[in-house]
Amino acid sequence: MASDSSPANFNNGPSSPDDSFSSPIPNTSSPAHRRRRGRRQASTPSTAAATPPPNPSRFANSASTPTPSRSTKRGRRPATSPTPAAAATPSSTDDFPPPSSDGGDDMEEATPTFVWGTNISVQDVKNAIQMFIKHFRDPQELSNDIYGEGKYTRMIHRVLEVEGEWIDVDAHDVFNYDSDLYNKMMRYPLEVLAIFDIVLMDIVSLINPLFDKHVQVRIHNLKSSTSMRNLNPSDIEKMVSLKGMVIRCSSIIPEIREAVFRCIVCGYHSDPIVVDRGRITEPTSCLKQECMAKNSMTLVHNRCRFADKQIVRLQETPDEIPEGGTPHTVSLLMHDKLVDAGKPGDRVEVTGIYRAMSVRVGPTQRTVKSLFKTYIDCLHIKKNDKSRMTAEDPMEVDKGSQRVDDDVQFDEEKVEELKELSKQPDVYEKLTRSLAPNIWELDDVKKGLLCQLFGGNALVLPSGASFRGDINILLVGDPGTSKSQLLQYIHKLAPRGIYTSGRGSSAVGLTAYVAKDPETGETVLESGALVLSDRGICCIDEFDKMSDNARSMLHEVMEQQTVSIAKAGIIASLNARTSVLACANPSGSRYNPRLSVIDNIHLPPTLLSRFDLIYLILDKADEQTDRRLAKHIVSLHFEDTEIAEHDVIDLATLTAYVSYARKNIHPKLSDEAAEELTRGYVEMRKRGNFPGSSKKVITATPRQIESLIRLSEALARIRFSEWVEMRDVTEAFRLLEVAMQQSATDHSTGTIDMDLITTGVSASERMRRESVLSAARNIIMDKLQLGGPSVRLLELLEELKKQSSGGEIHLHDLRTAVATLASEGFVVLHGDSVKRI
Amino acid sequence: MGGPPYDCMANPLGAVRLTFEKAIGLGSETVTHPSAFEGKDWGALELFRHFLFQESGLSKVPILNPKTLRWVQHNSLVRYRGMIQDMLGNEFYVGAYRDDGSSWRTNKFTDFSQYPMQSPSDTCIWERRLLYCVPVPGQSSWAEPSCDMDPNWSPQRREKRRRMDGEDSDPMDLVPEDEVKSSPITKKMREDGLPSTSPEPMDLKTASSSSGMSTVQFVDKDNLPCLVKIYDSPESDLKLNDVFEFIGVLTFDSELAVEKDDNELSNSFYDDALVHMPPNKVPRLHCIVHRKLAVHDFLPGSPIMEPKPHLVKEIREALFRHLTAVLGNDGVAAHFMLLHLLSKVHTRVDDVAIGKLSLNLIGLSKESVSVFGTRLTQTFKSLLPCTKCLPLTLEYLNTASLAPKKDYQTNRLIPGVLQLPEGSHLMVDETQLESGSLNSIGIENTKILKNLIEFQKVEYDFQFYKVEMAADIQLLIFSDGKSNIVPADVIVPFQPSALESSEIPVAEALEAWRWYLATVKSLPHSIGSEMQKVVEDDLVAARQADRSLGSQDFSRWLTMARLISSSLGETCLSLEHWQMVKELERLRNERLK
Repeated sequence: MASDSSPANFNNGPSSPDDSFSSPIPNTSSPAHRRRRGRRQASTPSTAAATPPPNPSRFANSASTPTPSRSTKRGRRPATSPTPAAAATPSSTDDFPPPSSDGGDDMEEATPTFVWGTNISVQDVKNAIQMFIKHFRDPQELSNDIYGEGKYTRMIHRVLEVEGEWIDVDAHDVFNYDSDLYNKMMRYPLEVLAIFDIVLMDIVSLINPLFDKHVQVRIHNLKSSTSMRNLNPSDIEKMVSLKGMVIRCSSIIPEIREAVFRCIVCGYHSDPIVVDRGRITEPTSCLKQECMAKNSMTLVHNRCRFADKQIVRLQETPDEIPEGGTPHTVSLLMHDKLVDAGKPGDRVEVTGIYRAMSVRVGPTQRTVKSLFKTYIDCLHIKKNDKSRMTAEDPMEVDKGSQRVDDDVQFDEEKVEELKELSKQPDVYEKLTRSLAPNIWELDDVKKGLLCQLFGGNALVLPSGASFRGDINILLVGDPGTSKSQLLQYIHKLAPRGIYTSGRGSSAVGLTAYVAKDPETGETVLESGALVLSDRGICCIDEFDKMSDNARSMLHEVMEQQTVSIAKAGIIASLNARTSVLACANPSGSRYNPRLSVIDNIHLPPTLLSRFDLIYLILDKADEQTDRRLAKHIVSLHFEDTEIAEHDVIDLATLTAYVSYARKNIHPKLSDEAAEELTRGYVEMRKRGNFPGSSKKVITATPRQIESLIRLSEALARIRFSEWVEMRDVTEAFRLLEVAMQQSATDHSTGTIDMDLITTGVSASERMRRESVLSAARNIIMDKLQLGGPSVRLLELLEELKKQSSGGEIHLHDLRTAVATLASEGFVVLHGDSVKRI
Repeated sequence: MGGPPYDCMANPLGAVRLTFEKAIGLGSETVTHPSAFEGKDWGALELFRHFLFQESGLSKVPILNPKTLRWVQHNSLVRYRGMIQDMLGNEFYVGAYRDDGSSWRTNKFTDFSQYPMQSPSDTCIWERRLLYCVPVPGQSSWAEPSCDMDPNWSPQRREKRRRMDGEDSDPMDLVPEDEVKSSPITKKMREDGLPSTSPEPMDLKTASSSSGMSTVQFVDKDNLPCLVKIYDSPESDLKLNDVFEFIGVLTFDSELAVEKDDNELSNSFYDDALVHMPPNKVPRLHCIVHRKLAVHDFLPGSPIMEPKPHLVKEIREALFRHLTAVLGNDGVAAHFMLLHLLSKVHTRVDDVAIGKLSLNLIGLSKESVSVFGTRLTQTFKSLLPCTKCLPLTLEYLNTASLAPKKDYQTNRLIPGVLQLPEGSHLMVDETQLESGSLNSIGIENTKILKNLIEFQKVEYDFQFYKVEMAADIQLLIFSDGKSNIVPADVIVPFQPSALESSEIPVAEALEAWRWYLATVKSLPHSIGSEMQKVVEDDLVAARQADRSLGSQDFSRWLTMARLISSSLGETCLSLEHWQMVKELERLRNERLK
């Protein structure tokens, strides 16, 4: 028996003020009906309201064929009805067969009522729903609270307390409790939801008979969600769940629900007249017996009741668009509380009923239009996204305006897959191979980049000191060594990041910019690239071309991970927990191996020391590499088949892998790893002391140990391991060494020299300078008399060359030496001549 | 079956109906419920394919363009050639229903049901795809399909059709007497020769309301968009920017145009297509058969020739002479130009588009561009099916919308200049660029251009995100110095030695050249293992000698090698061709010094 406890005076008219089409709210009726009505209206308009539909067709007969019958009951329950139903979303209340005047009453006698065309008994469904609400218990709570109230019973109580208007029902719960009910709900949502509402109202009125709000059910979290592209006619009238992006919201449309008229002659107010099939029948004469004036009734606007509705367009997210296609869109109909639930740009997951309605039939139209417009009658909307700036987890947000990464909701299957992958012994190698598979060689660079992607653990001590977990990498190299491609690739892969070129970036473009709103005069902060890539990777191309000014602010970002702004009225410190991946060209067009890195890239040493890894990508004249390049390019051009990349993880999996690891894996140092770190570090520092060498070369600085920790953490993450093990530390040392050997090699001695980076001058260079200085001093002491005639520099140089056994001495070396002497007050330098004083 | 009892051209819907009735077994004992078709084909396609391709009915089908639009019949079979500019999603329609006599009818390939639907429960809802198509951008006049169709075609047909109606009592024809009424109007139009002048629209409008005649006024005479409705085709078949020929039923539902309701609600709820593309501006085509058009299909009536090497060489020689003449006797430039015109992207590996060869002619001033630029434009127009020219001025950069952009107000993809079909040729004239500042649009545009030339991809702006679409556009840049905004693959200093205009080639020659360009472009290509070794050795040696050579240079050489051997009609790289590449590069480098 359907619905009979619910209000008897169901109104069967649609609530729209405009009948023929334009208000979709009431048009939850099936399209077919609309067509029929249109026709009927054309012929005998007045019969429309009165004609009851053929009884058997009151329910949808089949899913793909909308029936006309529902339309007769699609009206909303008017507020005047005993059970307040005005706030109902149409989808849940409409179309349910109410015992309305139009032939519905007879249902009371017919005991087994079936959803038309099926063998689903209304009573069975009702019972099932009652059972579900009463007895469903969250499996997690089951153990401790077996006699307590069910999840939804409690929820109903809570709703009553807060005077809420709906109850969110998790479709998974329904499925777990009664999969049959779930299937019925999916297939006949209109009917089942209406029954659901009625059951709910029964329960509510049992608990609190005075509760005067209509409580509705909102289903969400369906077992499966459909892609917008795959919606097809068989989905009509079914419950569907879609993901997409809100692109457009209409303004809120007040929809009249009931109207009150006043007689302008006698001032008599009519009873509220309820919308009937989208139409209000204006009384033609005053209803007051004494008056009876003709055509005297006017609408009293402020006594009418209106409800909100809104039409929202949802568009496919970029990842669902097939190649060579444009995104699909679908219209959503929102009611009441759902209005303005989503704003343009929001990513949402919507649960609703897919509906179709026929396009309006023009009154003059002779032929019947056979088109349908489809929309989703929205039941529940869930925002998937936090906005970029507030998102806590870096992986859940898009990166830049370029690619919007959907928040990776890892389903179990995917997690299993990723875990499986992580268990492979060669996962590290595999990931390295999969990183920019088209750029080969550079394996160690790729390993470093991989570490950067995974990142170390950021640490904040209770004392307030914080250690960054982000790994900064600088690539220096010859032109044409695919540095930029690497950068682009990482940018693509990184969960969030900004790609910028140093040439065009200004300091404010990178950090933040204070602007005055021209209208309000308020000062607003606009984030720059670094702030925007908070918890991501900021890729800076052409780092060397950046202005000094812009570069200097990177100091703060790279160590403190904040951006500070002090502008009139605004002193702010913004988080910029970003990894910096920069690439630079040597100052000459090619790297000059005879010069130090500093000389080659012209970067301030203070900044350089903030990079954990500095890779020199040099173009070695190696025939083997050249041959590989040649082979690669020839095969690229002449094998029309795609070059099979063996054993490579695809980009999507790689991204998911990185995201998952960053989100869920937080490795800690194991004891032995910590020991190894200490040992290794001490060794590194010792290495500077060559046996029998007086040269003091600093090989490592405390910054390096931090880098090492970060790197080994990242390496553990790659394996999905919660503990940093020995091998991670060993590999971290290796990575650092590889990078150092390239960047910090003192080219005259071949040892690692951190001084090269921190000061720009190598120890051996310093020693050489000192020897030149002392030699020059000796010569001057020997040759020149105090206050005697001056000597030309070139002569001195000759003298010097004669004395020094090996090693070439250049004029400029001598000049520097003499300058030093002059500063000591030992000599005076006049142009080219030296005079002892 | 003897001759078909229907006229596929004048009354395609009749044919559809017949096959439908046959398929559901009308008249026989067992009637199949049409829902079994699920909107899929029931045999009508076969019939039309047979008619179009076996009985060579294709050439008889009129091509829809602003000219033919005036006399083409409503509900008749037409052809339309265009590029898919936008995809408007799917549309649900009543596919089959029961009429008064409770026999099943179908609505496939039409907008209206011709019979009243009896019981709305007896309907099947099917879906079709909507594609918004525009004439191919930059199409050269020769590539337009010839419409030598006899305009008197329709009356003859009409007679035939009426005869048929007698036998068939086809209620599909709306109101025969209306047609009679309307034909004088169309005739008058033709006689006047001023079809779109003021008094007529009134006439036409009245005519259109009573008849199904296609009496629609178009604002833009050369630009006839068309809303194509696709049935029975997998989504992956039709891609954005593809050029297709659609053959199907033309409809003008002029009555829909009446509904101009500015209610926001209806706007956002109706398919925006109806609101923003009123049917009186955009004809609807219910596509029965569609085929993708390759360059070959643009060649008017040329027989498919076997690309025999000697023939190819001959044509190549002639074309090369012509190009040299056009380029003021600059042979080197002509060589590169020829290769450039033959280039196309054949594979993509990750971001790298292989096979493109964009050309930058440097050393051109404003003055010389006006001479050679115009000359080249003419030449390209006569040789290539689709060409376009971009004057790269500061103002243009700052205002033009190069990439397509989605407008959510109208729910349409606003076309950009760079929304071009595969294989288009684009000339960029940078000589007119003067120094000045770019605004944000300008910066965006330069980025788009750079992206296009480097990766052959255009980013379409969907406001909330961008979608990269692969493109295949030949780019030719004129500039004074090397262009940095549009960095091309090959930079050739242009050194003309003669200014006098070249002779105008005869039509046969042009036809042969077009055929040559189209054919050679699609030749397969391979390399022998020996040759591969030679090439590799050469590359290694070159790199050992000059460290500045990178993968880009190698890529360019190999592309050129492929193009040179293709241009000679060969499918396999030979040593000779490779030597030619090296020689060409040597000549080019000499000029660059």
